[in-house]
Amino acid sequence: MFINWAQQEINLKIVYYGPGMSGKTTNLEYIHSKLDPSLKGDLVSLKTKEDRTIFFDFMQIEVGRIKGKKPKFNLYTVPGQVYYASSRKVILNGVDGIIFVADSQPHRMEANIETLLDLESNLKQDGHSLENFPWAVQYNKRDLPGAEVVDVLQKRLNFFNVPHFEAVAVKGDGVFNTLKAVINLVVQNVQNQL
Amino acid sequence: MVQTKKLKDGSRQVILNGKQYDTITKVLTELANKTKASAILFADMSGQLISQRGNTEDMNTTVLSALAASDFAATSEMAKLVGEEAKFKLLFHEGEKRNVYLSNVGDNFFLVVVFDVSVTLGLIRIYTKKAIEDLSAILEDDSSDGVTDEIMIDSDFSTLLGNALDDTFK
Repeated sequence: MFINWAQQEINLKIVYYGPGMSGKTTNLEYIHSKLDPSLKGDLVSLKTKEDRTIFFDFMQIEVGRIKGKKPKFNLYTVPGQVYYASSRKVILNGVDGIIFVADSQPHRMEANIETLLDLESNLKQDGHSLENFPWAVQYNKRDLPGAEVVDVLQKRLNFFNVPHFEAVAVKGDGVFNTLKAVINLVVQNVQNQL
Repeated sequence: MVQTKKLKDGSRQVILNGKQYDTITKVLTELANKTKASAILFADMSGQLISQRGNTEDMNTTVLSALAASDFAATSEMAKLVGEEAKFKLLFHEGEKRNVYLSNVGDNFFLVVVFDVSVTLGLIRIYTKKAIEDLSAILEDDSSDGVTDEIMIDSDFSTLLGNALDDTFK
């Protein structure tokens, strides 16, 4: 979190984390497509020719002034593929809140778990821990036939019982709810420290 | 000194007061005047833009800061891989019309200088080095501590933020 008193700005960094093809970029694209142009910046995507995120996506959004202060939310995604591990680590620098986008398809369960462990290990290197960090889980692709039941996903992935949301990011279902929940967690977290 | 609070969960909170912001901006203005740089950005390593000077109207400096921070992060991983124990201190991108010179300011901040190829790199190096010294001094100066005690985020704030998010996301 970066607070600039001269500009009355509060900057928060929110990172979308998750395995490859789980829908992290899709979350950002949906948010970008729906927000009023005055409240959003450009959506920058560093992609390969095959449209896969190679480094990150970035977008800044605002909500106007609150009690004279201007909160700004910097949204990032990480590349999901296993071999971009170091890219994922560097994007977490200075992170305030995390949205873990899990793929609901049963055959992606292992990838979800592996990425969650990768997240925990990266957070630990920065002195954080999933146990007391502001984060939420989004179970994406709920519309796909054969999607794993939420109870199973909860048992396997949500071991710290953080807020969880069902989503169909391509249609926008659950996208804003997840983001709002994480922003609230971050704000609560800051208040609790005062 | 710029207040850097470590929260219980390990996350970092950086707070810059008005005086520090003004002095930082003054250093950037001086650097812009002396080097004729097209744009100068001062940002924090997580990618947050703090202050800017020069002709930045047509430049998306928010995105530029985010990309520059990642540039630093990526090259410091590269440093490890090639056996360089410290982080690389500066990055230089050479173009046909414009060059970009990036240099870290302590561990947590960095400076981006965008300049035309007609300006010599030596000139940029000399004045940027001086600016980094000045910026480091401002960031470490503790004479203005205590002015940032006002609580920015109270319960009232979170309620209002919740409402604003509902309006924005409807």
